[in-house]
Amino acid sequence: MSVGHVSRAFEAAGIPTVIVMSNVFRGRVTVMRPARTVFTKHVMGRPMGAPFDVERQSHVLREALKMLETASEPETSVVLPERYRVAPER
Amino acid sequence: MPGETFKEYVDSLSYGSRTDLLFKWLKNAGEEAAEHFIQNLLRELGEVVDTGDLSTLFNMIYEAQLAAYSPPDEETRWKYDEPLFAPLPKPLSEMRVGLLTSSGHHVKGEPHAPPEIAGYSQEEGTKHIGEFGRAKPFLSAVPVDLPEDDFAVIQPGYDIRAALRDRNTVMPVDRMQEMAAEGVIGELAPTAYSFIGLTSQIRLTKEDAPQWAERVHDEGWEAAVLVPV
Repeated sequence: MSVGHVSRAFEAAGIPTVIVMSNVFRGRVTVMRPARTVFTKHVMGRPMGAPFDVERQSHVLREALKMLETASEPETSVVLPERYRVAPER
Repeated sequence: MPGETFKEYVDSLSYGSRTDLLFKWLKNAGEEAAEHFIQNLLRELGEVVDTGDLSTLFNMIYEAQLAAYSPPDEETRWKYDEPLFAPLPKPLSEMRVGLLTSSGHHVKGEPHAPPEIAGYSQEEGTKHIGEFGRAKPFLSAVPVDLPEDDFAVIQPGYDIRAALRDRNTVMPVDRMQEMAAEGVIGELAPTAYSFIGLTSQIRLTKEDAPQWAERVHDEGWEAAVLVPV
């Protein structure tokens, strides 16, 4: 919720935002009508991906930046299909 | 404990004698759902012993968390009638993009919270959760080139273990720098920000968030990636 407030303040000040968060909290944030949101099917406390899962973290961030670039209307959102995983062996 | 009911046991996981921030939601899931979850957890652990495949276990935890935080117990207090939307004025590759999270990251040894709660460790914080909920929001500035060892994180609203292992799980400063190096974004704003999301929501929405917007605007932020936990 707290970042939903920040997002609205930033948008009101003319700063476009994208929120990246776990889909677990989708219901709580959707009612705040955020401008752009990327939801991940990750467990709580790991919205970008597991520790050291660079590939997943990059993928999630790329999707968020893509949304920032392409969204043309408010309340644009996507639920990324990838499930939480531990980092593949490096 | 002798004589303890199952409900008392489950309740103790949420800011009680057995606080577990990854499973605190079991308190609100309802007794039947909690019983079902624990039974399935044991069954899946039994499977993992033989197969080593963790994916079903992870999915089970995720799905149970999703169900616990979804309607009908949906938090509707902060409901807005109108969406807000600032359009992107130019390509991202020409913009300064900033990063802000509610993960409670800060520079080790620097103030990270109002004085009345600043002395609490993560564990102590879970015992004083009400004080965090009433506290004035506090924004910590974190240089994006700060070495990981100089980062600290305290946020009794969530399980910080992943954040302690790798800041990029919730505060993707390294991933953002890679995007800047690749040219996906023009540049990463040199100061990222984080705050303890477990804070006074009224103060945040009325006072602090608009001030923070002004602050980052003055620092040349043209767009922002926001990561809640």
